[in-house]
Amino acid sequence: MKKYISLLLVLMLALSFGLTGCAGSDEPAPVTETDVTKVVLLINGNLGDRSFFDSAEVGFNQLVEDYAGKVEVKIIEMGFDNSKWEPGLIDASEAGYDVIVVGTWQMQELLEDIAPQYPDNNYIIFDTVANPEITNVYSMVYKQNECAFLAGAVAASVAGNEPIGFLGGMDILVINDFLVGYIEGAQSVNPDVQVKISYIGDFNDSAKGKEMALAQYQSGVAIGFNVAGQAGLGQIDAAAEVNKLAIGVDSDQEALFRDMGEDAKADLIATSALKEVGNSLYRAIEMHMDGTLVYGEAEALGLAEGAVGYVKSQWIIDNGYADMVDELVVKIAAGDIVVSSANGLTTEELTTLRDAVK
Amino acid sequence: MSSIIDIIGTSEFWYSVIRVTTPILFAALGALISDSAGVINIALEGSMLWSAFAGVVFSAWFDSAWIGLLAAIIIGGLVGLMLAYFALNLKTDIILSAIALNLMAAGGTIFLLFVVSGDRGISSSLDSRVLPKLFTGLADNVPIIGPVIFGHNVLTYVAFVLVFVTWFFMFKTPMGLRLRAVGENFHAADSVGISVKKIQYQALVLSGIMAGLGGAFMSMGYVSWFSQNMTAGRGFIALAAKAMGGVSPIGTMIASLFFGFASALANYEAEISVPAEFVKMIPYIFTIVGLVVYASKKQSDVKRARQKQAEAATSSKGGE
Repeated sequence: MKKYISLLLVLMLALSFGLTGCAGSDEPAPVTETDVTKVVLLINGNLGDRSFFDSAEVGFNQLVEDYAGKVEVKIIEMGFDNSKWEPGLIDASEAGYDVIVVGTWQMQELLEDIAPQYPDNNYIIFDTVANPEITNVYSMVYKQNECAFLAGAVAASVAGNEPIGFLGGMDILVINDFLVGYIEGAQSVNPDVQVKISYIGDFNDSAKGKEMALAQYQSGVAIGFNVAGQAGLGQIDAAAEVNKLAIGVDSDQEALFRDMGEDAKADLIATSALKEVGNSLYRAIEMHMDGTLVYGEAEALGLAEGAVGYVKSQWIIDNGYADMVDELVVKIAAGDIVVSSANGLTTEELTTLRDAVK
Repeated sequence: MSSIIDIIGTSEFWYSVIRVTTPILFAALGALISDSAGVINIALEGSMLWSAFAGVVFSAWFDSAWIGLLAAIIIGGLVGLMLAYFALNLKTDIILSAIALNLMAAGGTIFLLFVVSGDRGISSSLDSRVLPKLFTGLADNVPIIGPVIFGHNVLTYVAFVLVFVTWFFMFKTPMGLRLRAVGENFHAADSVGISVKKIQYQALVLSGIMAGLGGAFMSMGYVSWFSQNMTAGRGFIALAAKAMGGVSPIGTMIASLFFGFASALANYEAEISVPAEFVKMIPYIFTIVGLVVYASKKQSDVKRARQKQAEAATSSKGGE
């Protein structure tokens, strides 16, 4: 009896390790030579993140639908165990795909190691820039500062003379790029706007996100913008507690809360600033098929390419901000408004910027 | 500096201190119980995470927060039971087994979340319930302390009541005496017929249940969903709070509140005009200072005890 119990326990342990990463061990399908473009997306994590990877999946589904018979897409989830990412990338590199897509800074170094070993392969990496000397990698980054600009403009319009909030995940470049755009957007509406800035310190701790957002709201912030993954969702909970507004990020957080059956919280989400990873991948693969995608290059994609955007929510329409935001989108896309970036800012310059809106 | 004083002067701040303290206090009480029985339970984090998960899933399935809470308690206790089985029956290293359980919780909750709901990062398709807040009416009617101590989640009150229950249990019941005897010297306890294994089993299950209550608070009180790794190290912070608090539940409560105070203060970083990096250090500086004070106090206690012993020895020699 004892033996069976211990066997069962061992099995459970093994399963919980194995299954969480099971997607990573998917055998790449044998690829045969045809004129079909074969694309593989390697996810360093799982689908269901309600953000980057889900967006990528939507983009690819659209692509497969629009180019039926011309494109095949395989999505491989490598799980969160980063020791599996390198073999996953090597497997995919040897399976004869036309394009291999990976994303996020966590994959950058691995790709830079592996891509030169397979000079005949084409690689695309999103949300980070690979070493430009590697001629078979195309990098895409997103002008998150542009969609954050829209968020800032909405926030400052709503707040009037009250301060607005910014809840970041960590004090890192990508997050600060949002911040810079957010501040500029707010200043475009109200030059004297006051921005309360907090960083949670990670992307998981939604309870801490809630505390920090509450602290902001209680100090008079009228509307906050969260850029902190799951931790940032705590802000929505905080908003519901004090009945103030929030702005989401990366994916449509209003829809997320509607799915959870929490309409009261969803109603407080004015809009969400979006990174349209799916659109950008759709565009990149389309360009690859046309032969116009230049490998070895890096591009920053923004509103003009549809790679970032905002949710035209019912709230935005009902409160009459839709025209204003759409006008800004057109202006930014046309280059009439140039949004600054945290890219290239020194720590001192960033501190000056933050202190200026304190 | 004046901004810090302004913040500390608000009732919202103290309300937030109590809320931040709640999950830490639950887990710290769990740590206290298991430590007192001589078994270190660092699987508290795993218990919390599993319970946070179970609370959301069961409350959504049965449409009742209370069933969710019950499930959270049971699952928390089960994690404690598993640790006990590994460490006491299979004689594995208790620290390593607990680390394994924590890892299993981090991956396993996400895996099961996917199985039951199709979500993988956050329980967005589960319509889960939250536990009610109590005395919300009193919050506005009692001046000054009303907004601080009333209107909290029911589990917050449970946590503080449990401090006294734990104290009573440890120091006023035969079972508590046995528990402490096992922790103090299990050979001696064994020699008078106490089943060491049984006591340690009970202690680990109890500590798992305590941590489970903390987990339930995280997903059914603090926020209203489960998300991956949402406990974010609170089980470990609780171990530090327990170490600071010494051997008494009251001390554990004070240490937890101390930690809650520091964390709550750090959450106001946007308001404090010192660099954010510095504010983020506050809870950890508090912990280190607390541990130093605790260690030096212990050391001087030991010195004093030795001195007394030496004095007793010399005086008894003199008497001969």
